[in-house]
Parts: sequence; structure tokens; C-alpha cells
Amino acid sequence: MAASASVRGLGWRVLACSWELPCTWRALHTSAVCAKNRAARVRVAKGDKPVSYEEAHAPHHIAHRKGWLSLHTGNLDGEDHAAERTVEDVFLRKFMLGTFPGCLADQIVLKRRANQVDICALVLRQLPAHKFYFLVGYSETLLSHFYKCPVRLHLQTVPSKVVYKYI
Amino acid sequence: MNENVKSCAFPQDPTAVPYVYQDDPYLIPTSTVESRSFLLAKKSGENAAKFIINSHPKYFQKDVAEPHIPCLMPESFEPQIEDVSEAALRERIRLRKVKASVGLFDQLLQAGTTVSLETTNSLLDLLCYYGDQEPPADYPFQQTEHMENLEEATEESNQTSKMKTIPWKTQNNAERVFALMPEKNAHSYCTMIRGMVKHRAYAQALNLYTELLNNRLRADVYTFNALIEAKMFMPDEKFEDKWNNILDLLKHMVAQKVKPNLQTFNAMLKSLRKFYLLGRLPALQTLREMKHIGIEPSLATYHHIIHLFYHRANAIKTPSLIIYDIMQELEGRTFSPQDLDDDKFFQSAMNVCSSLRDLELAYQVHRLLNTGDNRKLIGSDLQLNFYYSKFFSLICSMEQIDVTLKWYKDLIPSVFFPHSQTLIGLLQALDVANRLEMVPQIWKDSKEYGHTFRDALRQEILMLMARDKHPPELQVAFADCAADIKSTYESQDARQTALDWPANSLQYIAVLFLRGGRTQEAWKMLALFKKHNKIPRSELLEEFMDTAKASESPALAIEVVKLASAFSLPVCERLAQRIMTDFTVDEKQKEALGNLTASNNSSDGDSDSDSDISEDKRK
Repeated sequence: MAASASVRGLGWRVLACSWELPCTWRALHTSAVCAKNRAARVRVAKGDKPVSYEEAHAPHHIAHRKGWLSLHTGNLDGEDHAAERTVEDVFLRKFMLGTFPGCLADQIVLKRRANQVDICALVLRQLPAHKFYFLVGYSETLLSHFYKCPVRLHLQTVPSKVVYKYI
Repeated sequence: MNENVKSCAFPQDPTAVPYVYQDDPYLIPTSTVESRSFLLAKKSGENAAKFIINSHPKYFQKDVAEPHIPCLMPESFEPQIEDVSEAALRERIRLRKVKASVGLFDQLLQAGTTVSLETTNSLLDLLCYYGDQEPPADYPFQQTEHMENLEEATEESNQTSKMKTIPWKTQNNAERVFALMPEKNAHSYCTMIRGMVKHRAYAQALNLYTELLNNRLRADVYTFNALIEAKMFMPDEKFEDKWNNILDLLKHMVAQKVKPNLQTFNAMLKSLRKFYLLGRLPALQTLREMKHIGIEPSLATYHHIIHLFYHRANAIKTPSLIIYDIMQELEGRTFSPQDLDDDKFFQSAMNVCSSLRDLELAYQVHRLLNTGDNRKLIGSDLQLNFYYSKFFSLICSMEQIDVTLKWYKDLIPSVFFPHSQTLIGLLQALDVANRLEMVPQIWKDSKEYGHTFRDALRQEILMLMARDKHPPELQVAFADCAADIKSTYESQDARQTALDWPANSLQYIAVLFLRGGRTQEAWKMLALFKKHNKIPRSELLEEFMDTAKASESPALAIEVVKLASAFSLPVCERLAQRIMTDFTVDEKQKEALGNLTASNNSSDGDSDSDSDISEDKRK
């Protein structure tokens, strides 16, 4: 990752050097800036921005005022494959966002139990019910075939996005 | 007795929906139509996903499952082997490609290679099973060539369901392949016979059977089952001849040392059904023979027997008592599906209970349904609805009201959605038991099950509420219910122009408003009468008069009389007389009254008593 970024930045000369002395390579890290004091926080506006409970609380409130969005045992002591779970989570969130366009009221919650994946989504009542069932059948089958494990979708509908406060 | 039934009857939660639906009020179906459409939508979503998976298999090849799960891998429907060989033919047969395999077979014969007997037999199996048509596609958008075939097939099968058998064409591919075979064994003949019977070519099947006998080959038990069916469908023969033919077939079976199985006897009973009364004795003989050989009858056997003994036309005069013997025999037994017709037993049994009006028997049938896994043999959604509708109607008409209401809470809506007729039966049961206070609750439930706009149901509810006078709180509840029903009429009116409000409904709603203390709205109802060209009955106007008297307002009373005369009702003058006696009216009002009655009389054209005319003269 760092190597490719720096290659882009510094041009042909660098590429030529790298083949000769790989062990004395110094790279310049130039990824996008992600300041950790701005992660997962909705910035305060003029008092007219509605936020849900999930969005209103910052990450340091996890395990104090809010729970986790993704539950798996990969991060426990002695357990493996945490990274794979994270990559799967990213894919599942993007997939759900695209398959239920404009219908998701909040972040989806992913629960892994044995080899099953339970996707719990809060949806708005934008579509008639039979269309929801079509999308549920479609996503469950496609994701099961993709990840080779049972994937189940649990929907809960709300009439509109549940607002916790206005900031 | 009933408590025993109730305790074992419902292992499932009566407040929950089946797990296939999402557990959310917006996504829970509220009628049979909705429940079916949701399940179909989910299935079509699964088909869409499978289509995508099978069209882009390279994204789904990564196999992380330990052990390997074959059903989660993409499937390929295209044959891999391309050259003209027997292995390619076997592959196409395995993939169920009828036309491709026939084409390849012809190519092989033209090239001179001999095709082995097993492969030709499996080709014959394929052709006979599908009747020389392409198999009905689960993925109709799978292949482009299939689309063209599908268009031709859909013209023929437009009115028929997906797997309805197409009639067997003579000299189709199966017969051609059969004729081309250098050597035929028993399997070839048997497949051909079974294919012909499946596709309704009965005479040809029987001819082929004689050919088989001439070649001194032996048929297997499935072929004999097919032949029994063929014999039954031969036209223009009397019952005696057909039955003797079937007995001959059985003798052949014995001679060829073929043991009959369950399907043999079920096929015989199914054929006997066509003969109604004549078939009863042979059916019992068949049943006895079955038990003698040691074959356990399945639910389909009993279904055929019930159908034979309780066919509609015969059941009226002296119904047979065989159902009691059957139920006694089946008590406490669990069944597994062994025959295609097993799922029809419970419906026919409940139908018989309903026609015999026997509640104990119905409880017995229901107990059998709930033993072990027999619930799985209830059949499709439609059959389940039929069974429970009949069961619940029987309970409503014959059971005490408390038990009925308990069944109502348990069965509806978690097990089935009631028809409006079932609900009308329940209302009549409430009426008989004098529990009319439950009527508004039933109306609220009916709206949830999609019966908001059923006119018969609304009229029944209104009639029951409006028939007698009730204590005041109940009247208020009834008036609220009537207002609700009125709003449904109004919303229906908004959607379709020129809706005809039935006269009875207007009548009842007005009465209920009056009795519930909503006088203003009741007066508005009278205006509605005029609007929809319906005439109120005289009892209604009398009640209006009573309310006017209670509120001590002569003006209202005169309004009533005005309306009565507008409708040209004969009760007009009686009302006028009542005003004179009950109210203190002043001169102007008396005059108006007189005019009204006079105009009424003159428009009626009947010569009336002198009192009116003298009243007139006085002014």
C-alpha cells in the first residue's frame, strides 16, 4: 500500500532504484488523512440536523451507552480471522445499502452465530411489502452462495427515521 | 373431552406467524392472498439470485466452507462435452435436455456407432417422462433457445398448469427411438408403457403390453400400476368388463411373480371412484385383500374410500357409517407421505364431518391431524384453509359459545384467515348465545382480515346490532361501530362513483345513531336516504318521533313529518296525529302540519277521514 502510493508520487527514478536495494527502502506514507478524533462523529450544526441514537454518540461511548454494530468472536484472545470478518462486514454493508435503496433507516447490525450471519436492518416503509420479500429472498440467497454459509435477514420497519435529538 | 383436545392441539404459538414471514407488523400478511403473494415474491427473489449466480459463476467459486457444501456452489446447465459420443449423450440426458439428446442420438446412429442398451433406455426414460417436450423450466430466462421452445409450448399450455401432461403424439421421438432399437429389454417396454399412460395414450399402452407378453418378458410393478389406470380409462365399456379386465391384470401379476405394492391398490381404488355405488363392494374387497397381503394402507387409500362412500349425490338419504370405522382404525397413528394423494385425506374427512354435522367426529379428525407429524400432510394453503373453514363453521354451529370463542382466538389468524361466510357463521353463533356485545370486536377483526368492504358481512353486523334495544353503554359501542361501518361505505363511495348504498344499511345505521345518542348524525343519515333514493321504513320515523319527544322540540317533530310526506309514506298522518297529541304546537306549526298532511293525502289520492279535511277547513 505504502509502496504503491509512493511510486505514484515520486515517479520513474524510484521504480528504477527499488529493484537494486529493496532493504534500504524509505517510503513516504501518503494515504488519505483519517484523524481519529473525527471518526464516527456527526458534527454539530445549527440545531436542525436530526440524528439517530447511533449517530449521536461518539465511538468512546461504545460499551457505555451504545453497543456494537458487528458482533463476532474474531477479536477475542486467541481467536483468528478478525480481518476477514471486517472485510466481509464492509462488503455486507455496501451490499445492503445498494440493495435497499433509500430504505435503510440506520446502520445495519451484523451478528455472527456459529457459521450463520444474521443481518438485522431497520428499514423505512418505502416499498410495498411484497417488494421487501423479493429483496429479502434475493439477498439471502446471493449472500449465502457468496459466503458459503447461511445468511439470514431480519427486517424491522419504521415509518420514518427515528430521531434521538437535533444537533 | 374438549379440554383434552385443546391441550394437545396447538403446540405452536397462536400469536405468531409462521417463521417464513418477517416478524414485523408491516410485513405480516393479513389475508390468504397476501400470504401467498409474499411467499411467491420471496421465491422469485431467490430465483433472481440463482440466475445471477449461474450467469457469473466465476465470482462464486471461492470455497471456504469446511466441509464442502455443494448446494451453495453455482450450477452449470450447459453440457461440457462437445464431441459426438455416448458420454456426451449421457451428459445431455443427465442435464434433461430433450431435443439436444434426441439430436445427438440421431447423429450417433448416422455416424454408425452403436449406442449401448442402458444409454438408450435412459434416453427412453427421459423422453417418456417429459412426453417429448422440454422440461418446464425453473429458470425460464436460462437459455435463449429455450425461450423459443417456451413460446410454442405456452400457446398450448396457456390454460393448463405447469406440469399438466401433453397428450402423446403418435410417431413422436420416443416411439421412433423405440422402433430403432436393435434389442429391447423389459425396461424399454416398461418405460414406454408408463410414458404412454402418463400422457393418456391408453390403447397404445395396452397394445404394447400385449407385445411385451408376446416377447415373453416380465413387467415390473410400476408398469402394472400404469396398466390398471389404462384399463380404467378405456372408453365404451361397462363396469363389469372393466373390473374383470383389472382382475385379469392382477392374475397376470401373480403369474409373472410380481408383488403388488401400495400404489397398485391405490390405483385400483382411484379407478373404482368413477363408479360410485357400484364400486363400493369391490373397494372393500380390495381393502381386505390389501390387509391380507400385509400392505399397510396409507391416507390416500382412506381418502379414496371416503370419496367413494360419501360422494355428494349419495350422502343425502342414508349416509354410510364407514367414516366412524375408518376414524377408529386411524386413531393415534402417525403417517408419512407414501402416495401423491395422501394430502387430500384430511379435507375429505372434514368435509364428511361437516355434511354429517358431527362435532365429535370432527374433534377426532383434528386429534389425528395433531398426532405426531401428521400436520405435514394437510396439503397446500388452499387445502388448509378449506379444512379449517369447515372445522370452524362446524364448531360455530354446534358448540357452546365459550369454547367457540376460545377456538376463534387460537385459530384465527395464526392458522388460517377466515372467509366472510365463516365470520357470518360466528356472528350467528353469537346471536344464538346472546353475546352480541362481542360484535364490535368481530368487526374490528374482520377489517384486519381484509373484509372491510364485504357487503354481506356489514349488513349482517348492522342487522344484529340494530335488531333489539340494549343497555346504554352497549348502545354507545354499537353506535361507534356503526359510524365506522358508515366511514367504510363513504370511502368506497369516494373510490367508485355511483355506489349503491343498500337501504337496509342506511336504515340500521340511522337507528343505531339514534339509540346511541348521536342525534345530529342520525339526521344527516336521513338526508343520505334522499340522496341515494332509498325509502326509510316507518319504524325508523317512529323512532325519530320518539327522540323528538324526548328532546321536547316540536320543530324536529315537524321535520320528521315533512320528510315523511316527501317520501309519500302512509305513516305521515299517524305521525301528524301524534304531534297533535304529544306536543304543544302553536298556530303556525299547526298550519304547516295541516298543509303537509293535506298535500300528502292529495298526492296519495285516497279519500281520507273527515278529520283531516275538517282540520283544513278550520284554517
